[in-house]
Amino acid sequence: MIRTENLTKRYRAVVAVDQIDLDVREGDIYGFLGANGSGKTTTVRMLLGLAFATSGDIAITGQPMPKSRSTVLPMIGSLVEGPAAYGRLSGRNNLALFDAINATGVRRSRRTRIEEALDRVGLGGVDSRPVKTYSLGMRQRLGLAGAILRTPRLLILDEPTNGLDPQGIREIRDLLLDMNQQGTTVFLSSHLLAEVEQTCSRVGVLDRGRLVLQDDLATLTAPTGRTFVRTPDVAEAQRVLSSPVTALSDDSLLVETDDPGAVNTTLVRAGVRVLELGPERHTLEDVVLAATQSGTDSMARP
Amino acid sequence: MTSLHRWLIVALTTALAIGTPLTLRALPASDSTSTPAERLDQLRASVNEPYSGYVESLGTLQLPVADELNELGPLFGERTRMRVWWNDPTLWRVDRLTATGEEDLIRDGNATTQWEYEGTKITHTREPAVRLPRLSDLLPPELARYLLSDVDAADVSALSSDRIAGRSALGLRVTPSDARSSVERVDVWIDEASGIPLRLSLFAAGSSNPALTSTFLDFAPGASSPEVFDFRHPRGSTVERPQVVDVADAANRFAPFRPPPTVADLPRSPARDLRGVAVYGDGLTQVLVIPLWDDIAAPLRNQLLDTQTVVQLTQGPALSVGPLGILLTRFLRSDGGWLIAGTVTAETLDQVAIDLRGARITPPQLSNS
Amino acid sequence: MIGVELRKMLRSRRTWVTILLINALPTLVGVLLAVTDLGPRPGSGPAFLSAVLSDGTLFPLAAVAIVLPLFLPTAVAVVAGEAIAGEAQAGTLRYVLARPVGRTRLLVAKLVSVVVFVILAVLVVALSAYVLGSFLLGDQPVSASVSGTTLTSGQIAWRTALALGYAVLSMLGVAAIALFLSTIVESPLAAAMGALAVLIGSSLLLTLDAANSLSPFLPTRYWLSFIDLFRDPILWRNVVRGTGLQLAYVAVFLGAAWAHFTTKDITD
Repeated sequence: MIRTENLTKRYRAVVAVDQIDLDVREGDIYGFLGANGSGKTTTVRMLLGLAFATSGDIAITGQPMPKSRSTVLPMIGSLVEGPAAYGRLSGRNNLALFDAINATGVRRSRRTRIEEALDRVGLGGVDSRPVKTYSLGMRQRLGLAGAILRTPRLLILDEPTNGLDPQGIREIRDLLLDMNQQGTTVFLSSHLLAEVEQTCSRVGVLDRGRLVLQDDLATLTAPTGRTFVRTPDVAEAQRVLSSPVTALSDDSLLVETDDPGAVNTTLVRAGVRVLELGPERHTLEDVVLAATQSGTDSMARP
Repeated sequence: MTSLHRWLIVALTTALAIGTPLTLRALPASDSTSTPAERLDQLRASVNEPYSGYVESLGTLQLPVADELNELGPLFGERTRMRVWWNDPTLWRVDRLTATGEEDLIRDGNATTQWEYEGTKITHTREPAVRLPRLSDLLPPELARYLLSDVDAADVSALSSDRIAGRSALGLRVTPSDARSSVERVDVWIDEASGIPLRLSLFAAGSSNPALTSTFLDFAPGASSPEVFDFRHPRGSTVERPQVVDVADAANRFAPFRPPPTVADLPRSPARDLRGVAVYGDGLTQVLVIPLWDDIAAPLRNQLLDTQTVVQLTQGPALSVGPLGILLTRFLRSDGGWLIAGTVTAETLDQVAIDLRGARITPPQLSNS
Repeated sequence: MIGVELRKMLRSRRTWVTILLINALPTLVGVLLAVTDLGPRPGSGPAFLSAVLSDGTLFPLAAVAIVLPLFLPTAVAVVAGEAIAGEAQAGTLRYVLARPVGRTRLLVAKLVSVVVFVILAVLVVALSAYVLGSFLLGDQPVSASVSGTTLTSGQIAWRTALALGYAVLSMLGVAAIALFLSTIVESPLAAAMGALAVLIGSSLLLTLDAANSLSPFLPTRYWLSFIDLFRDPILWRNVVRGTGLQLAYVAVFLGAAWAHFTTKDITD
C-alpha cells in the first residue's frame, strides 16, 4: 500500500528523515511510532505530497508520489497534525465544503455521506453552531469525519486521539478497527505506545529520522522461548527446575524453556507455590526502548 | 519541472514585460546624414503641416504669483499633459488633461473657445494681436515657431537621431551667439518624415537641466476630421465673452503708451496691431514689454520684492527664472510700470527699461477699434 | 475549486461587511454634497465630483473615483493577502491540498475569487451611488463628456460600464502582488501590508520627477485613467497602457506565486 525507498528529507543541515524504507501492506493497521521530533509528521507530509522529499521514492498503491497525487490522494483520508476547519462555518458546512473541493466527490450522496461520517465519529447530533465554538475533542472528531467522508482505501492519521477523553479514544479505536475490517488500510502515526499496541497489526519505529524497527506486532511480542514464574519460594523453585534459571527478584524468575506446561508440572509436584506462570513476552515498550535512544525533546547533559 | 525551471519562466516573463516597451522605445532611429541647415529648412517648411498627438511638457520655472498672471505659473512650472489636433494655424484644438477633468482650447478662424470642464465654463475670445503665453504655446511645433523663427544657420549643429513617439527624429541644436540672450541652447528633434518638431528642450545659460521640455508621446501627421473641432455649448454651462483676452491684450489696446522702435539695439517686431505692447528682437533673444496699470503692477512688484532671488537693477526689481528675465519698472507719478520679460540677460533688461523711457504717451483711447 | 472558493467568499459575512465599509465613504460624501451643496474646488476633488451637483447620474463614477485610490486596494490587499496565508494559518491549507487540489489551480481559484470580490464591491458602490445620486443630487443631466461634447444616454451607459470594468482591472495588480506575498509570508496581515506598501511606494514615486522613467511601470500609474473614457474622442492611450500594465503584473506575480507555491513544503 505504502512503500518508500531511501526516503530522505533534509532541511539545510538538519536531516529530518533519513533514508527510510516504509512497507505498509494492504489491510494493515500500521503503527508509526516515534518520539516527538523524530520525523513522523515530516514523513506523513511527504506521503501526502505536502512536503517534497530531498531524495528517495514514495509509492502508494504502486503509483509514484507526488507525481500521481491526483489519482492517489482521492483514495486517502488524512488527519495531519491536528484537525483544521473554517471556524465561521458549521461542522456540516465544513464537510460539505471539503467534499466539494474535489470533483471526484459525488454530489448527490453528499448529504447522506456527511451524516454517516458524523454518526461514525459520534457527532451525529451536532447542531449548526460554528466550528470555532467546538471543543478540542469535537474538532478532532470532525477532522476524522472529514478523513473518512469518502470511505478511503487508506487512512493516514497523525495523532488522531489527541484531545480525546478515554471514552473517545476507545470509540475512535473501535472506528478504526471497524473500518479496517471493511478493507481500509490504516497508517497511524503516534507517540503513544499503548495506543499503537492496542490497535495496530504492524509497527514501524522512527528514531531521529531513521526507521529502526519495522515488523508485525505479533512477531515483535512473540514468546521469547523463556518462561516467567512468580513464586514466593524462589530458592526452592531454582532447586527443582532442570533448565537454567535466572532469578529476577525475590519473588520471580525466568526459566530457559519454551514449555511452560512442563515447568508448571515440575513446580507443582515439588510443592512450590506458583502465583503466576507463563511464556515470557516482550512488551512493545521493551522493544521500542531497546531500539531507540532517548527522545529529541530531552536535553540531558551528555 | 524543478523549482529553478519555474523561476526561470518567471524571470523570463518579467524580462519580457519590462523589456518589450523598452525595446520598442529603443528601436534604432535613422542614421540620416542631412546637414543642420537642411534640418532647419525642413523644420521651417513644416509650419503649416497638420498633425495630432499626445504631448507632455515639463517646466521648471517658478514664476512669481500675481492675479493677472496666475495661469502662467502652471504652464512653465509644472508637468502638462495635452492632446492636440492641429489642422492649420487657425483650426486646432488643444486639451489640457488633468486627473479630474480637462481644459480645452479650440481655435476656429479668428475666434478661440476655452472649455473648463470642472467649472462647466466656456470663454469665447477673438484672437488678439498680442497675448500672454497659453496652453497651445507649449506644443513642440509652437515652441519651435517662437524660438527658432529667426535662427542663423551658423548657430545650428546636428544632434544624434532619436526615436520619439515611435517615430524616427532628427536632432538639431541651436546655440545662440547673441550675447544678449539668456538661452544656453535649444535642442529640438524633428520628425524625419514631416519635419514637424517632436521634442524641444530649452536650456538656460549655465544649466544642464532643461528649463522647459515638451515632447510628443504619440504623434500622427495629417489632418483630423472636422468633428474634433466642433464645439457646442453643453447644457448648464456658463458662457463668457470677455472684451480682453488677458493683461497683455488689454494693455496693448488701452494703455496710453507707444513704445519706441528700438530698445537695447533690438528692433521692434513689425507685427500688425501692436500699440501699447511691443515685442523686441526675435527667436532666442526676444523681449515682451507691457505697460501695467497700478492695480496690477503694485501687487506684482511686492511679489517680486518678496522673492529671495530678486535683483535690484537701476530701473527696478528683476528676477531671472531659468532663461526668462523679468523686470518691473515704475512710472514717475504712479505705481504702474513696464513689465519687461524675455530671454535676455539682466543687463539687457535694464537697457530695455532705460530705452523705454523714450516711449511716447498718447491720449487715452475710448474705443477699441 | 473555483466554485468552492466563490461560495466561501460569498457566504462569508466579512466579505459583505467589507463591501459595506468600502461603500460607506462615497455614501457619506454623497450625502454631504447633497446637504451642503458645496462641490470641490476645480482640480482638487476626485474626478466627476464637481459635476454631480448638477448631474446626479454621474455619481457612480465619482464614487468609484473616491474608493479607487485607497479603500478598494486596501480591501483587495487584505482579501488577497488572506488567500494562502490565511488558509495556512487556519491549518486548512494542508487539507485542501490533500483533497487533492492542484496548487496552481488553488492559486487561480483564489485570484478569481478576489476578482469577483472586486467586481461585487465596484457594482455595489456604483449601484448605491446611482440610487443616491438620482434621489439626492442634481437632476439636470449635463449629458456631456469631459471635453464638453454631448453624449447620448446609451454612450454614457456604455462608457460607464467600460470605466467600471477598468476600475476592476486596475485592482488585478494589487491582487496578484498580495497573492504572491500570501504564499511567502506566514501571516495574512503581513501579506496585505506588504502589498499596501508596494502601492504606497508606487504612489509616492509617481509624485517624484526623478522617478519619471519608472512611472510607466508603477502599478498605480494608470489607475485614474478611467476618466479618459469620458473624453471625446476617447483617449485610449493610458487605458490601454493601464490594462497592459495590470496584465503584466498578474503574469509576473501570479507566475512568481506559482513558482514558489508549487515547490514549497507546506509546513504550517
